[in-house]
Amino acid sequence: MQIAEGVQLVTFGILSVLMLGAALGVVLFANIVYSAFLLGGVFISMAGIYILLNADFVSAAQILVYVGAVNVLILFAIMLVNKREDFKPLKNNWIRQGTTALVCAGLFTLLSTVSLVTPWAISTTTIPLASSIVPLAKHFFTDFLLPFELASILLLMSMVGAIILARRDFLPDSVGTSTPDSLTLPERPRELVGK
Amino acid sequence: MNSGIDLQGTFIQSLSDLGISAELAKVLWMPFPMLLMIIGATVGVLVNVWLERKISAAVQQRIGPEFAGPLGVLQPVADGLKLVFKEDITPANADPYLFTIGPILVVMPVFISYLIVPFGQNLVITNVNTGVFLWIAFSSVVPIGLLMSGYASNNKYSLIGGLRAAAQSISYEIPLALSVLAIVLMSNSLSTIDIVEQQSGYGILSWNVWRQPVGFVIFWISALAECERLPFDLPEAEEELVAGYQTEYSGMKFALFYIASYVNLVLSALLVAILYLGGWSSPIPIEVLSNLIGVDPATSWVQVVDASLGIGMTVLKAYFLVFLAIITRWTVPRVRIDQLLNLGWKFLLPIALANLLITAALKLAFPTAFGG
Amino acid sequence: MLKFLKQVIDYGKETAQAAKYIGQGLAVTFDHMQRRPVTVQYPYEKLIPSERFRGRIHFEFDKCISCEVCVRVCPINLPVVDYEFDKASKKKKLNSYSIDFGVCIFCGNCVEYCPTNCLSMTEEYELSTFDRHELNYDSVALGRLPTKVTDDPMVTALRTMAYLPKGVMSPRDLPAGAQRANSNE
Ligand code: SF4
Ligand code: SF4
Repeated sequence: MQIAEGVQLVTFGILSVLMLGAALGVVLFANIVYSAFLLGGVFISMAGIYILLNADFVSAAQILVYVGAVNVLILFAIMLVNKREDFKPLKNNWIRQGTTALVCAGLFTLLSTVSLVTPWAISTTTIPLASSIVPLAKHFFTDFLLPFELASILLLMSMVGAIILARRDFLPDSVGTSTPDSLTLPERPRELVGK
Repeated sequence: MNSGIDLQGTFIQSLSDLGISAELAKVLWMPFPMLLMIIGATVGVLVNVWLERKISAAVQQRIGPEFAGPLGVLQPVADGLKLVFKEDITPANADPYLFTIGPILVVMPVFISYLIVPFGQNLVITNVNTGVFLWIAFSSVVPIGLLMSGYASNNKYSLIGGLRAAAQSISYEIPLALSVLAIVLMSNSLSTIDIVEQQSGYGILSWNVWRQPVGFVIFWISALAECERLPFDLPEAEEELVAGYQTEYSGMKFALFYIASYVNLVLSALLVAILYLGGWSSPIPIEVLSNLIGVDPATSWVQVVDASLGIGMTVLKAYFLVFLAIITRWTVPRVRIDQLLNLGWKFLLPIALANLLITAALKLAFPTAFGG
Repeated sequence: MLKFLKQVIDYGKETAQAAKYIGQGLAVTFDHMQRRPVTVQYPYEKLIPSERFRGRIHFEFDKCISCEVCVRVCPINLPVVDYEFDKASKKKKLNSYSIDFGVCIFCGNCVEYCPTNCLSMTEEYELSTFDRHELNYDSVALGRLPTKVTDDPMVTALRTMAYLPKGVMSPRDLPAGAQRANSNE
């Protein structure tokens, strides 16, 4: 298992460097579009690390959900709101930056202590998993049922919120609702249920 | 079910006999299928471009490319050469890095998706057990590339084109995934090999089209939309957006978009063939044929015929679908953006959901016919 | 509820109709695929222009009486008639004459109204140049006669649809002396 292990090690190194670099880029770039694209890079490198951990389904899901949906939507939002605005340099900006740095450092120490204190059960033998899908599904529908359902309720809530936002009518009813026929598209009017 | 020809096994075996360790032999083997696949995909694109031009010409009662090679078969090569030698222009106010990375991001996932396309029992680069899911995941990366190139071009047409492309692929990914899910329900596996195997029992009768006609139509419509083929080619609608996200591109970078769109079309056609038209299995099973002429299906020459027939069948089915796509291109006019999103969200999505539920119910009711 | 059901049924009907029409469209497209191409292989084959073809204008210098009628009837006053009055013979003497075909719309008014018939329309239509000012033809260039398509040894001349015998669709391989449909002979 010489070659395979070497490949694994090198891949892990490349992926971690990529991920850390991209993550730093997300935070440090002034251009928000670059940050958003680099976020995609972070997600993809994470998917690569999942593959190294034999979690192929999770990595594909990571790409599909985070890169394909979340990141694209973030980019969408950024590009649709393409407002060129010159931000004035704030007074006492260092207070905000200092606070942010403090909070981040605190979080970092917290997480690193957690990861150092936890007695990880690292198995040295590689377990060739036939398919990670079945055990995943089993966990979802037995001991992780509650978080799973909670997550779906969360998604439902955000969906309802989005629909309510999208359906809001900005048009005032009183002012000239009747457009002349010549300006309307020749389309059959569709009636909605309950209207 | 015999396992067919195992090229990889034979290769490793013969190298090990020469005294090279099995592991190294495997490493040596790896580049072959990859190279073969890249070459295959590129040749597929060339054939596709030629077909597109010839069939379009025939539909419009023209002749099409004629002088470059017999029947103009070298025309796509000439096109490619022309694009390679063209000047590569980066607009002055464009973002040079994103402008370059964009087309690469569009091409890469499409080529990587060929990993999971099987041409025979063992003729696949990797039989990963996430199979089609991997394809769906990779094809969802493409809109990022489109958005990137649309944004980096610093051109309003490009930006609108990129945004439209992203909106389109996001909305059609869902019905696509749902119709794939119905297939996966029936074959109990995401692996493309298993999916084909599951429909290879009774020749043409066991293909998934008969069990999933609705899913087939939904998948095909969504695949066309994902490839930005003509009824759904809004991101590059000439009359409104010049050329959408490709407006500012020239030379090789434009060629990358061009290749990506055609590779994607071939890939979608291949996947329709695999998911719904029985992949490499021929309409009449090869076992029946060989028994008919009284040969044992395990004889070596039958196996060779079987393997080549498998490749031929897959390619034939895929190109039949490509033909359908080209004919559709000259039949159906382009839809408007609101009609496109309406079709995706209000028509395909509910029907795909209903199809999934009905498939699950049928699987519970008739386990023999729907996924044993 | 009933209203909702009706909507669903209507929607289904519309969908079926759309599918039917798309199918019909595909059938038409497929049918077109089997028809013969109508392509004319241009630089090697050319269509014979019809009798009333309005191509590049031909001008005969010696016939012109410098009356400037052509300039007046031209919608854009295009022809340039450069003459001087010859006191001795009490006649106008034409120095040069030019028409810019980059601007001309080939309406034929000048040809129609010229009192001495010194303007006429030829069947030349290949007017592409690298510089649009090259299209400003002077009296020498205007006096050249174009090569007839039928006389050009490099070109296979093809008749247009209206000049083919009855029932013949392809202009290639016509029997010699084939008359066009509805000809008086
Ligand atoms: S109308 Fe005829 S004769 Fe008179 S100036 Fe023009 S070309 Fe000459
Ligand atoms: S053809 Fe018409 S436009 Fe041209 S010069 Fe004669 S009158 Fe003027």
